[in-house]
Amino acid sequence: MSDAVPAENGTDESEGSGIGLLTLAGAGILAAVGAIFMYAPTEKTEGVVQRIMYFHVPCAWVAFFAFFVVFACSILFLWKKEREWDIYAHASAEIGIVFCSLVLITGPIWGKAVWGVWWVWDARLTSTLVLWLIYVAYLMLRVQSEAGSTRAKYAAVIGIVGFLDIPLIHFSVLWWRTFHPLPKFVTTSGLGSGMDTPMTITLMVSLGAFTLLYFLLMSQRVRIEKMKDDIDRIKKKRLYAH
Amino acid sequence: MEGKMGYLFAANLFVWGGILVYVFSLVRRNHSLKKDIDLLHESLKKKESGDE
Repeated sequence: MSDAVPAENGTDESEGSGIGLLTLAGAGILAAVGAIFMYAPTEKTEGVVQRIMYFHVPCAWVAFFAFFVVFACSILFLWKKEREWDIYAHASAEIGIVFCSLVLITGPIWGKAVWGVWWVWDARLTSTLVLWLIYVAYLMLRVQSEAGSTRAKYAAVIGIVGFLDIPLIHFSVLWWRTFHPLPKFVTTSGLGSGMDTPMTITLMVSLGAFTLLYFLLMSQRVRIEKMKDDIDRIKKKRLYAH
Repeated sequence: MEGKMGYLFAANLFVWGGILVYVFSLVRRNHSLKKDIDLLHESLKKKESGDE
């Protein structure tokens, strides 16, 4: 790394791929919103409110995927001791928290409309709240403690342990009696076998759009973290040079 | 039916509102780092002109 000041953030190549991702994610979101409100049929028992599922499930998928990335990158960080993996884990945890928060907001809205209550302390809802709290603690640890390899190590341990809650969330509806419905998209009979075809297609479009959005946000968040590192490094070098 | 539309509207509002707020926070952080880079550029230029 030279002592040169980073020329704006990123290269032409990374900006090009960012624009490509932005275009894809934008088109995906437009397609998803169109499918949700114009293509998907209205469910017979729940009515229009069932359309919340097309946002709620993709938010949950992105949150779980983001926390899986934290888990994988944390293992790689502890193994290889490379800052790069810590950056990816940190960025993904932040995005995971955003989407997990959206799950915890849209779920109670849907619950109030269907069950008549905002919240019940059943296994699925409670374990999701626990997941959110674990990763909030992960981010708080990063904010509260001094930057360095010790902080990164502690964060990596929380990132790995926290992920163990996700299988518990997934199987909670099968292991215990819960208010939360059983999975209709991922079933033992195959993907989408518990839903009508237009509903399955709409959900898949929405899942694809939210996944693209995750990669777009991730690329921007990683870029910011790398810029911070570059600036800190140069400031330190200049401080020691004086 | 109308009452239930309110729930769908609220869920939509929170999802897109939440994502927008996060995107704006990324844009804000990006701008603030760009300012830092500009300041570093300026101080480097001053240092270079001082060395000469």
